[in-house]
Amino acid sequence: MPVRVTESSTPSQVSGTNSGDTSPPACTLLSVGQFYLQTFSGTQNVSSLQKEEAWRVNVRIQGCDLEHGYLCGTMEALNVPMADTPVVTFWEGEIVDTKNYTFYTGKWEASPEDDKRHWTKFPSFSPLLSQVEVDGGKSLDLSNYPYIFMRWKEQYFVNVGTDCGLTIAGFYYVCFSCSDGSISGFYYDPNSSPFQKLELKSTNEGRSGYSFSSYELQ
Amino acid sequence: MPSATVNKPRPSELLSRLTSAEPEVKVRALREVKNQIIGNRTKKLSFLKLGAVPAVAGILADSIDDVAENNNCNNTNNFLVQSAAALGSFACGFDAGVQAVLDAGAFPNLLRLLANPNEKVVDAVARALRMIYQSKLAPKYDFLQQKNMEFLISLLNSEKETVSGLGASIITRSCETNLEQKALFDAGILRRLNSLLEGGSLSQRDASLESLATVFRNNPEVISKFAGPEIGRPLSSIIDLAKDRYPRTRLLACMCLIVIRNASPHFLQDIGIKTKLIHILLELLDDPGQVGDEAPFAFSSLIAQKEDLQKLALEANAIDKFHHHIKKGSLHPRRYEGILLALADMCSKLESCRFKFLSLQVLNLVADALTDYNAGVRAAACICLKSVTRSIKNLSAGYFMNETIVIPLVQLFLDPSTSVQVAALGATSNIVVDFTTRKSIFVQCGGMKQLVQLAKSMESSVRSNALWALKNFVFQADNRLKEGVFSELTASLLSSLIRDPEPSVQEQALALVRNLVDGCINLIEFVFAEDGLILGAIGRQLQCASKAEIGIQGMYALCNVASGNEFHREAVMQLLFTQMGDKNQSFVVKFLQSNDSQLRTATVWTIVNLTCPSSPGAPCRLEKLRNAGIVSQIKNMVNDPCVDVKLRVRTVLGQSMAFGDN
Repeated sequence: MPVRVTESSTPSQVSGTNSGDTSPPACTLLSVGQFYLQTFSGTQNVSSLQKEEAWRVNVRIQGCDLEHGYLCGTMEALNVPMADTPVVTFWEGEIVDTKNYTFYTGKWEASPEDDKRHWTKFPSFSPLLSQVEVDGGKSLDLSNYPYIFMRWKEQYFVNVGTDCGLTIAGFYYVCFSCSDGSISGFYYDPNSSPFQKLELKSTNEGRSGYSFSSYELQ
Repeated sequence: MPSATVNKPRPSELLSRLTSAEPEVKVRALREVKNQIIGNRTKKLSFLKLGAVPAVAGILADSIDDVAENNNCNNTNNFLVQSAAALGSFACGFDAGVQAVLDAGAFPNLLRLLANPNEKVVDAVARALRMIYQSKLAPKYDFLQQKNMEFLISLLNSEKETVSGLGASIITRSCETNLEQKALFDAGILRRLNSLLEGGSLSQRDASLESLATVFRNNPEVISKFAGPEIGRPLSSIIDLAKDRYPRTRLLACMCLIVIRNASPHFLQDIGIKTKLIHILLELLDDPGQVGDEAPFAFSSLIAQKEDLQKLALEANAIDKFHHHIKKGSLHPRRYEGILLALADMCSKLESCRFKFLSLQVLNLVADALTDYNAGVRAAACICLKSVTRSIKNLSAGYFMNETIVIPLVQLFLDPSTSVQVAALGATSNIVVDFTTRKSIFVQCGGMKQLVQLAKSMESSVRSNALWALKNFVFQADNRLKEGVFSELTASLLSSLIRDPEPSVQEQALALVRNLVDGCINLIEFVFAEDGLILGAIGRQLQCASKAEIGIQGMYALCNVASGNEFHREAVMQLLFTQMGDKNQSFVVKFLQSNDSQLRTATVWTIVNLTCPSSPGAPCRLEKLRNAGIVSQIKNMVNDPCVDVKLRVRTVLGQSMAFGDN
């Protein structure tokens, strides 16, 4: 989701490598094998010192490639003050699978300290912290863990121009709960308000149960 | 200065001379036939139609009889040499000629003549047989028989280049099974082939490389024996030949090394060799002849399914090189097809390759190839599109859903070649996923209606691929598009496709229903059309599902129906309990006990929806599920090895506890 530019940047540090162990579990609410793609809706808190503010957000997962730890989709921000229409962005995600990606971002101006500061905001991360401090979590076995950690990075605006006064320079630290399909996230951009919280729940489009569609690429 | 033209005798005239009683006339006629047909397919065909091959084969047979009757003389040998040479010319690069030679019964006579004492006869006969063995029509030589193996060894051991070359050709054409490969190794043949590699002439080396590739294909055991210390350093000789001055030798050596690597990945791990192979094959593309035509196919077999090699090839500018060749235009169809398939393999896995492909605008050239006159090229263009359109990033941007691509692709739905149709449907399946609002372009091009027509095809591969494309087309589509597809398909056609004899068609039809009824709650009504024809078909199909994939799609279709209102849930319940199988057990229990975790997941999700606490009928349904042993089965699954199943099982048990179950 795009945000407004506010604060000054902090220096970054590069770390994190690819190799490791057991990937997180497949989860129907996110995707599995073929793509059973779900939609989520909720809010992002964009409050600043001056003003309490939350934008409504819809997220649609469009693709997932577990082998490469890849996920992508769109994010729609509904009540953005400076935009006439909802603002849709396309994002790509890295799944922390300890094989393709670890908890250390190693780019996007995020130092290991920034990483830890954000990941520890998720209560489900605390059992993993000590190992992450040792090796970024490379040796963790996440195959039975009911949470999936990801980073989502917006790549482009789908329906507005880059001159819309909004920025997508930052990225999200994301935690997905396999149990109830809820998503929490924290936006990180050294130039924006810190710890903007994203909260999403799986939507059922007016149904009183869960419905799953799928596509399959050839 | 004008000169008098020397008229060549007409074929019919030559044919009558072949029956002349005069030996001189006959030999001259044989020589003339051979000279006229060399490298001339038209001439070969006209002689073939006149029955020249049986006439020549007759002369060969008569001459053999003369030899047997000790009428040996220069004339007889001359007949043998000239008739064998003529037969070889008929067979050279011309399958109809090979067939005619075989039909005329000349093959066993030629084989027998390899034992003739006259060197010239043996040479001509070996050449003729090699021509035959270059064709797929050549009879398989059964070297599992001891005497045949001995004969083959004697050919390979021959000092004569043509004879040992023939031995290698026989292996290339006749060795098919692992057993045959092993038999050749055990007979010491590989040692001999290796010595031909190291000390043979150009043609012996080439023939030997081809044979070795045949003996190694998919046989790691033979490869490890060959590459072991027993034979010396054979892999190094092949690696050396990959740098030979002759392009054909380089190509054959590369192909042999690729066969070795594909069968035994632990060989040729060195990054230097991998990179070298890529560079050699890319350079061979510049060869204007057959070598250049075959190089992209060898390149494909090197990089297919291997990300590391695709990365190296990207770094070696392979995509730029292929692009350059297609852009030049006027390619031989074989080369055109090969380059498109090589691009398809390059773009099959890595987004970085697809990015390069798209940034060079190769897509426009591939779109042009969709309308090529050659069916192989059209199919390859579709396969290439299929690979590139795996880019979710570009699908999300709606990059592929445009008329330049969609119109020619839809036209290929009616292509006379089934393989082109299937390839076009494969590319379409990806393109129609499109996440933007541009799916209507496909309808406007007539694509949707065509897909529905193809779902009625006599070919099961066409039916299942058409349904696959429809499934992806309706994925997250708006109600209007889904209603359009459903009214075009009709409930009766869809239900008959669910009950299709072919499992792959059943699976795709069920997946299509699943996507149709997702989204707006009103869409669930599709399965109730025409007295619930579709729902009934799903139930019957689930009862006898022949594979897990059918169960998965069918259960998700039911799960989506059960996510609707009470009426929908009750209809699903009725279906679960009217379709009872052996031992009066619902298929639900069978699916819950399946080894396939996805099938278990889909089934538990359906139960989650049926027992949703907010619905008034849930306690009653739970009671029925309990009585049918389904709840107790679910209780047994609390520690399911699949996390996804385990979490859904807990949801069901939580919901059942809300109704007072313990």
